[in-house]
Amino acid sequence: MSVGSQPPRTNGIAGDEIVVITHEDVDRAHDRVRVSTARGQRGFFSGARLLWLLVGPGVLVMLGENDGPSMLSYAATGAKFGIGFFLPFVVLTFCMAIIVQEMTVRLGAATHRGHAELIFDRFGPFWGWFSMIDLAVGNFLTLITEFIAIRAGLGFFGVPPWIAVLIALVILYAALMSHRYWTWERITLAAAAFNLVFIPVALMTHPDWHAVRHSLIAWQPLPGFNKDTLLIVLADIGATVTPWMLFFQQSATVDKGLTTKDIRFGRIDTVLGAALATAAAVATILATAPLFAHQMTADNFQAAEFAQALQPIIGRFGASLFALGMVEAGIVASITISTSSAYAFGEVTHKPHSLNLPMRQGKAFYSVLTLCAVSAAAIVLIPGLPLVYVVLLVNVVAVLAMPPALVFLFMLVNDKEIMGDLVSPVWANVLSSAVVFVLTTAGLLFGISVIAPNIFAALGGK
Amino acid sequence: MVRKEEAHNLEADRTLVLSSLEHDQLVRAKKHHIPRRILKGPELAVLWALRIYLLFMMAVVVYQVWTAAH
Repeated sequence: MSVGSQPPRTNGIAGDEIVVITHEDVDRAHDRVRVSTARGQRGFFSGARLLWLLVGPGVLVMLGENDGPSMLSYAATGAKFGIGFFLPFVVLTFCMAIIVQEMTVRLGAATHRGHAELIFDRFGPFWGWFSMIDLAVGNFLTLITEFIAIRAGLGFFGVPPWIAVLIALVILYAALMSHRYWTWERITLAAAAFNLVFIPVALMTHPDWHAVRHSLIAWQPLPGFNKDTLLIVLADIGATVTPWMLFFQQSATVDKGLTTKDIRFGRIDTVLGAALATAAAVATILATAPLFAHQMTADNFQAAEFAQALQPIIGRFGASLFALGMVEAGIVASITISTSSAYAFGEVTHKPHSLNLPMRQGKAFYSVLTLCAVSAAAIVLIPGLPLVYVVLLVNVVAVLAMPPALVFLFMLVNDKEIMGDLVSPVWANVLSSAVVFVLTTAGLLFGISVIAPNIFAALGGK
Repeated sequence: MVRKEEAHNLEADRTLVLSSLEHDQLVRAKKHHIPRRILKGPELAVLWALRIYLLFMMAVVVYQVWTAAH
């Protein structure tokens, strides 16, 4: 009685049933033993150790979403609009991300199933394939932009594009080679921590803290209401809430082996990740705000060109940190997004899908992961690819694809048959409905601005 | 001798897994499908409306790319 293509490590008799144990089960059990041991102890250090053991998916998904296109969107925001409406707006978008991602923690811990698997099982293959196509297309487009960011960031140091892409792929494989979820998670977390490099870069620009405080409280100065503003609004929303995040955090929660007892820590993990990501995002806007003050246009800035433009203000060291931050953003996101695609593929096809799998047993999982990363990397090497516009559009596409994905999540997390007592409370449903409303309205406004660009001028915009 | 040692390790793994993981966390348990839910009229209407919204918006994005390119 073997499980799919996974050869059993051992089997035995439990009642009348043969219990088949796989390599993946054993690795996950080892992780759970450490959690149980930490939970059984009292004191501050035991609590801190438990938090250390249980954080991961939330921080990774939030810092992973501070990816190449996201950091470029924040950089473009600072350069085009300076400090004002967009600072508190970005904080708000991360609040929306917390509301959405918390639901995936509960779903994963309660059902021990990935997001794609649940959609297929509960709603059938018709709706399942729709959501998979949304995810696959969105992930692939986003992956391309991650390699654009890596290429551009390393280009600042004179690294040729093909070597830049190769470095990224080598790091991606170095994380995978452990064939252990825990090790992969810690390596990726260490890389993700480098996202905070944008904070010292922002400090080097000597921000006007009075203006920062005023903008956070008063949401001012307001930008003009026009097509460009709307594109940046959508790009900034797409920089914080996207479909791959739902699939990734739920699958990672399952792969990590979190249970309903760990939901509180899953929430802390998510909020901690959002706080760190918000700090990095706000810092990026602050870092490029001097470009707005100096009336420098950002229309043609690629990721590395932002670093070049900042060099006269923050020096070579600061500009190098900015470029390295772009590289990190691209590398971490290329790891998490390709993993999200591989998880979803495994869940839908019922092939083994875990970062605890040895290569031999997880051929399909690792092959999909490789195929996604390598093909996206190859596309980036095509000469003459338009960059900033493509990157902003990818974030816009992510926002447009979000409402259907959120409605599936909403229906699953309110499904008493699979969630039991962990269904969403009324306040959570109100908040998540508000998020769907905001995203759909923003998408519709964007559509109107494209089809009838003069309508905003008629309404008093520019 | 080697076989005995292997059997001991396998038994130890089995004990570890069964005592540490919840039943439905086992890879084997995940092979069982969760029963399909029957979608009601309003739910189907929302799903179709959002599907049409997404297709329409994608067409808008393609149009924007096309106009920008020209």
